[in-house]
Amino acid sequence: MAVDIETFGQLLPGQPRRRTLEIKAPATARDLAVQIGLDPSEIGLITIDGVQSDLDDEVPPGSRLCFFPYVSGG
Amino acid sequence: MKLLRVNMTDSQIRWEDVPPQYERLGGRALIAKVLLNEVPPTCDALGPHNKLIFSPGLLGGAMVATAGRLSVGGKSPLTGGTKEANAGGIAGDTLGKAGIKAIIVEGLGKPKQFQVLVIDGDKAELVPAEDVTGLGTYATADRLQEKYGTDASVSCIGQAGEYLMTGAGISTTGERDQRSNHAARGGLGAVMGSKGLKAVVIKKVTGKTVKFQDEQLFRTAAKEYAQKLINDPKLGTKGTQHLYGTASIVGAVNEMGSLPTRNFSVGQFPPSVELRGEKLRELILAREGKVGTRCMPGCVIACRNLFSDETGKPVVGSIQYETIALVGSNLGIENLDDVATLNYMCNDFGLDTIETGAALGVALEAGLAEFGDINGIVGLLKQVGEGTPLGRIIGCGAVTTGRVLGIRRVPACLGQAMPGYDPRSLKGNGVTYATSPQGADHTAGNAFGARKEVPPLGTEGQKALSLRLQIIAAMLDSTGLCLFSRPPIIANPQLMVDMLNGIYGWGWTKDDFDQFNRQVLRDELEFNRLAGKTRNDYRIPEYMREEPLPPHNTVFDVPDSDLDTVFDTL
Repeated sequence: MAVDIETFGQLLPGQPRRRTLEIKAPATARDLAVQIGLDPSEIGLITIDGVQSDLDDEVPPGSRLCFFPYVSGG
Repeated sequence: MKLLRVNMTDSQIRWEDVPPQYERLGGRALIAKVLLNEVPPTCDALGPHNKLIFSPGLLGGAMVATAGRLSVGGKSPLTGGTKEANAGGIAGDTLGKAGIKAIIVEGLGKPKQFQVLVIDGDKAELVPAEDVTGLGTYATADRLQEKYGTDASVSCIGQAGEYLMTGAGISTTGERDQRSNHAARGGLGAVMGSKGLKAVVIKKVTGKTVKFQDEQLFRTAAKEYAQKLINDPKLGTKGTQHLYGTASIVGAVNEMGSLPTRNFSVGQFPPSVELRGEKLRELILAREGKVGTRCMPGCVIACRNLFSDETGKPVVGSIQYETIALVGSNLGIENLDDVATLNYMCNDFGLDTIETGAALGVALEAGLAEFGDINGIVGLLKQVGEGTPLGRIIGCGAVTTGRVLGIRRVPACLGQAMPGYDPRSLKGNGVTYATSPQGADHTAGNAFGARKEVPPLGTEGQKALSLRLQIIAAMLDSTGLCLFSRPPIIANPQLMVDMLNGIYGWGWTKDDFDQFNRQVLRDELEFNRLAGKTRNDYRIPEYMREEPLPPHNTVFDVPDSDLDTVFDTL
């Protein structure tokens, strides 16, 4: 099953913002972040299917996972 | 420091010593106290008994990084309660350097006979505004700076303020290409228009600086504060705010299902990928515009931009998140060029983009144009600038527009339109919108930045969160700090205490400072109570409690009992 991943802001500069990852075993947001080359300490917000999530939350197959840098409302 | 009182009824101007009850106040705190002491709470907001107050924060003029904001206040013709709106630019810093704690504008002007207040050092005079009457804010500022110097600060109203539209704000000039910074909310532009005051010009201050009671204490704290801002990965030159501006959150707010879309009917707008901060930066750099510019002296965050059209001609500076949300996704607009067009028109007419975007959303729901129809929307907005009957309705904001056009779905609290976060999926903001004495205002306590400590879709903890954020907002607005620069002060309030003690020698403790911040809200709530506001005024619109918001299909379900008790521990 696939997970649709999108990165925002200055995360992974120069790389495509959207990608699809095949996952064969349960994976956390942290696992997938590392797999695509992200430093977890640079992540300010994670959403899974639009719901705010944590690095250690499991990512269901078929879901949409977003990684944001630190963002502040203004 | 001095107070400058300007009576527009008889054109009398007088300088006063600052009375003891105002000595330790600035910005929003001073405005709240002046309103409570000097303005009859039930007065007509556009009548002779209301006052319009311009005040720098307590740090104004001291050249503290990101601390030069200008507060403007009075009784709001939109909410019927207390109002403080603030803006970047150079006016706050200039007033602070000039030793002016506040300009208090009183009385009432003669209809359509506008004047300009010119302040030059210790002199102030009112001069006829014939050559700028009827002009938009850009032309007004240009013409007055030609006359009084390009380094003079100009705070002015556009046509909307002259027409006394309650969606009108006050524009103030900033650094270099940041020509248009707005104390936008609450209809203060209409109050300025009612006074017959077209503009306030403050000539550059030379040879004057803030006098420090303990310069070493101040310098040490100010330096540590600035260094913490620069070193903060979120705020420095590699930070999101600097790189993408406030538009950096478009993607996140959309993903979380809180982006106002088509008159707050949906929380996600798929075409918003074209409205994101990432897209904004890409377009600006490709067109040789500017990103990472600043609006006021000494700002180390520099979140502003200057947006150009496809030919490279500058259109507007700066496109910000709230504008993208309210005149972009909220109107079904799918590209930044159209947002820039609407942004420029609002700025020039002197309109709050939040209030006007919300009013236009209501008008589109009523069928006056289609969502996404930029030509239809521009046509409606032109009518605001022309002052046609329909234009005056839209220019008076979302509630008036809804009432006239028979639309029940009006996103407003206490008469003021909601900013760019739908409260059904960011419930902490809903508590702030409903309970703030300012009306629906994200800068009164924005929960978006606190989403990790209180999950935005739940009801638990939202009441306590909103109170904490509202106290912080009162601090920011009273000291002149930009809200983006709050992290070092929240982490270590002693930094702010030391800066204030270094300037004024008050010997404050952190507890004194905390009480100072809380007193701002107490004064504002008391003014509103005396103006006739009851707990039933501090509510979220009924439809938002009943109409689920896609994609999460949540309603605003924080109980009224929580709203009624937000300030119990104030």
